[in-house]
Amino acid sequence: MWQELTDIVVRSLLISGMATVLATSWGIPITMILTVKESKFRRALLDVANTLVAIPTVLIGLLLYLLFSRSGPLGFFGILYTPTSIALGEAILITPLIISLSASVLRETKTDIWEMAISIGATERQALVVMVTESLPKLLTAVLLGFNRAIGELGVALILGGNIKGLTRVMTTAIALEVSKGEFELALTLGGILLFVTFLVTVIVRKVGRDL
Amino acid sequence: MIELKGVSFAYVKEDVIKDVNLLLGPGVTAIIGPNGSGKTTLLKLAAGIYRPRVGEVLIDGINPWSVPETVKTSIRRNVVYIHEEPIMLRGSVADNVAYGLRIRKLPADEVVIRTEEVLEVLGIKHLAHEKAQTLSAGQKQRVALARALAVRPKNLLLDEPTANLDRCGRETLMELVKDLVRKGVCIAIATHDRLLAFKLTDRVVFVENKTAIFVEGSGGRWLI
Repeated sequence: MWQELTDIVVRSLLISGMATVLATSWGIPITMILTVKESKFRRALLDVANTLVAIPTVLIGLLLYLLFSRSGPLGFFGILYTPTSIALGEAILITPLIISLSASVLRETKTDIWEMAISIGATERQALVVMVTESLPKLLTAVLLGFNRAIGELGVALILGGNIKGLTRVMTTAIALEVSKGEFELALTLGGILLFVTFLVTVIVRKVGRDL
Repeated sequence: MIELKGVSFAYVKEDVIKDVNLLLGPGVTAIIGPNGSGKTTLLKLAAGIYRPRVGEVLIDGINPWSVPETVKTSIRRNVVYIHEEPIMLRGSVADNVAYGLRIRKLPADEVVIRTEEVLEVLGIKHLAHEKAQTLSAGQKQRVALARALAVRPKNLLLDEPTANLDRCGRETLMELVKDLVRKGVCIAIATHDRLLAFKLTDRVVFVENKTAIFVEGSGGRWLI
């Protein structure tokens, strides 16, 4: 029982962590480009990102399911019902959130840090570097909120993972399963653990961010 | 020396600066005008931070917007603009002052020497290891000035430099400006501080109705 529970917690952390790394690796560079290059599409792209923050997780799950199912266009990858598919789905789910939050952070930095760096003689690349390093604590908060959203979502994990015991069962799908079985007590305990783990990660990241 | 030729600039659609012709030459030029008249925008255009919508800005005879990126940076490095609200990086005062030197990839020992030198000149050597972002507004102003002086610019653009300074700080600034002028630095000061302008400037630029009127002559006759 405890072994299984530990496995579920570790798996949840790994999958959501991987999703966060993926979403950060493409979300932050996209935001940097949108911030530095004064494109006329910037506002429109940010509006799209802000809208997608509210996209239902089951919808993303369904769309990716259609892509990754055996008869789907990306079915040859064979990643449906694997932790990889959940991580990918969660990464896509949280990308708009990370873009939206980091855009406001970088926008704020652009008007002061960027200008200061340029005015003291930095190249655009040097200005970009200092802009990001100065924003790190706030960017970390944006990434952390993305992680929290990923670890707490159900739709993607259920549809793309299939809640397979020992392979794709994560905390939220385990809670859903226990509820469907009428095991409310266990479901509530799992919910408590989910909240505690999320809280722990939040505190650790905040401390790391403070020391950056 | 910085020259603006027929410069217009708009943040969104409407021009906030329109057809400005201006020469920021040797000595001190005061830029005076009501709030929101475009003084800061004018300085940022002169510093090569903003790109004019129309016209050209010549920094020591070269338009930084018409040359390749590497040349643009080397042209821009002849000018330093200091914000009205000094912007501090995370880290110590010494780190902040050394920033301009490090991005120029100067040798480490020279960075240390120059940093200590300007901290001494501005009377803030005792703050060298303090966190810059925790300083008072006046102290930040001095750090920003130190950061600018460390890179020894040929042109220095100051935006409301006395806004956060006490009397002692103002006097230090005035002495510094006089010293820099003796060394051949071209200085432009956007200010509401008419006393500062009266005491220091060789010419004045009035910014109003989106344009600039240039008046030559020292002694502050234009202030009466």
